Amino acid sequence: MSGFEDVNYYFRKAARVMDLSVAVERMLVTPYREVKVDVSITLDNGELGTFIGYRVQHDRSRGPMKGGLRYHPTVDLDEALGLASLMTWKTAVVNLPYGGAKGGIAVDPKNLSPGELERLTRKFVQQIHEIIGPQADIPAPDVNTNAQVMAWIMDEYSRLHGFSPAVVTGKPVELFGSRGREEATGRGAVFALEEYLRDSGQGEIGGKTFAIQGFGNVGSWAGRFLHERGGKVIAVSDVKGGVQNPEGLDVPRLIAHQKQQNTVTGFPGSDPISNDDLLLLPVDVLVPAALGGVITDMNVKDVRARLILEAANAPTTPEADEALVKRGITVLPDIYVNAGGVTVSYFEWAQNIQQFTWEEDKVNAELHRHMRDAYATLARVVRERKVSFRTAAFIVAIGRVGRATVLRGV
Amino acid sequence: MTPSEASKIVRGVLCRGLSYEQTEQILKAMVPVGAEAGTAVFKEGERPQGLMVLLEGTVEVIKEGGGETLATIDAPTVLGEISLLMEGPHTASVRAKTACEFSLLTSTQFHRLLREESLAAYKVIAILAEVLARRLNRMDEKFVEVSRKTPSTHVEELTAFKQKLFTEWSF
Repeated sequence: MSGFEDVNYYFRKAARVMDLSVAVERMLVTPYREVKVDVSITLDNGELGTFIGYRVQHDRSRGPMKGGLRYHPTVDLDEALGLASLMTWKTAVVNLPYGGAKGGIAVDPKNLSPGELERLTRKFVQQIHEIIGPQADIPAPDVNTNAQVMAWIMDEYSRLHGFSPAVVTGKPVELFGSRGREEATGRGAVFALEEYLRDSGQGEIGGKTFAIQGFGNVGSWAGRFLHERGGKVIAVSDVKGGVQNPEGLDVPRLIAHQKQQNTVTGFPGSDPISNDDLLLLPVDVLVPAALGGVITDMNVKDVRARLILEAANAPTTPEADEALVKRGITVLPDIYVNAGGVTVSYFEWAQNIQQFTWEEDKVNAELHRHMRDAYATLARVVRERKVSFRTAAFIVAIGRVGRATVLRGV
Repeated sequence: MTPSEASKIVRGVLCRGLSYEQTEQILKAMVPVGAEAGTAVFKEGERPQGLMVLLEGTVEVIKEGGGETLATIDAPTVLGEISLLMEGPHTASVRAKTACEFSLLTSTQFHRLLREESLAAYKVIAILAEVLARRLNRMDEKFVEVSRKTPSTHVEELTAFKQKLFTEWSF
């Protein structure tokens, strides 16, 4: 993952527009704190397993730091730093009172039993509990971590510091989680799209065609919301391949099929399509909702969608992004489009601190308000400064972080 | 370039105030050297050959490591004066930007003349002192300019940016 370079590329592009000096740029890019810890546990077979855990805290000028914890063999300080800075800009774009952080453990959890995974998680909390906390740094689920892992983190942190549900978000709804959190990223992406369509005079989602790459949490919820609004989802794919139907797929049935078969492939009444070909379909909106780096300088010239809704993180490489801008294809960027997840994480944290549970309607209405307000600001910058939505997002974010930093006193 | 044209340039650069005989003494001690465009005339850290009078062409003075060009110098001029007088290795590299012709007064020859208490050689030193004084003067001015500009302009830039954050970049 070249996340850090990509983030820095877009950051620098905005920095050039804003005429940032090298010194200011360096200050904004440099992380607040990087931590690397030993996470050793006794494995089920009695042997000792030693893993390395990381937490990078990028910026805390706007509030406690927020960002996911991932369990993946490629996790290291570099990757965590790139993603932590992305969280700083993302939380600033949707104006949440947070800074950015990211971390995880370099481990393949598929090789661990549930017991080992729990011990690993609790040990990790023991190693980093002094630097996380409801008013310091609030982890969340990420690659290969889920609500159960968050529950363990909450429990272990609470053993050390007393009852602290707000130390982590993405918890199970039964254990201080928020209603609407699971669907939040997909729902936020659809809100983002609605704002853009309305603002640019392109009407509504109903009747428009969509191709969705990736049908995990984000892709499947986005697909369901698009379908509910009358959008024609004509192709979707997962790691095993894709399915298409020019008349539109029945998304709820497709989700049921996927639950049963563990893949979207073989869905009755559809034709197969490869992941690569899906990206090139002549649809109104292409929704990359899986991996990063899928739209590249290799395939960008063949992309025939009119709009790209970046539900995944960094699906477009900087080279491809330039090419899309040149071709007049609008890209709604990841740091805005998929900010719904962290926004509802913020609501979960707020509910935990209030000790008051919101109804799902309130969660969704507040999410809608945040996505709408953020869009209004971005659209203004796009118009006034003649920049892309992505550059506008970074300009807004850098401005907010910069002001907070200056007001606190550099 | 004919030998007489070369002599004329050397006279102008290195032998002002020397008598005819003294000038002949210096000229006789010099040898012609050429450098093709893009090639190194001498390299930083190398033992110097001697004092070089650039007769024709343009050279670049480069400080190794940074790779930055310190100066671009056109003929006619003198090169290698520092290492000639300090008797140490070259303090910078010189590369021919275009095809260049030089007259070289080797260190050996120069120090031989000094040992013989050649008045011509001492007069050359006086001329080199003037060249060095002029170059030092230019360096002083540059230093004053750099030291005056850097901190304050950076502070001004930063102050301006801080203000812009609240005016221009507040949405």
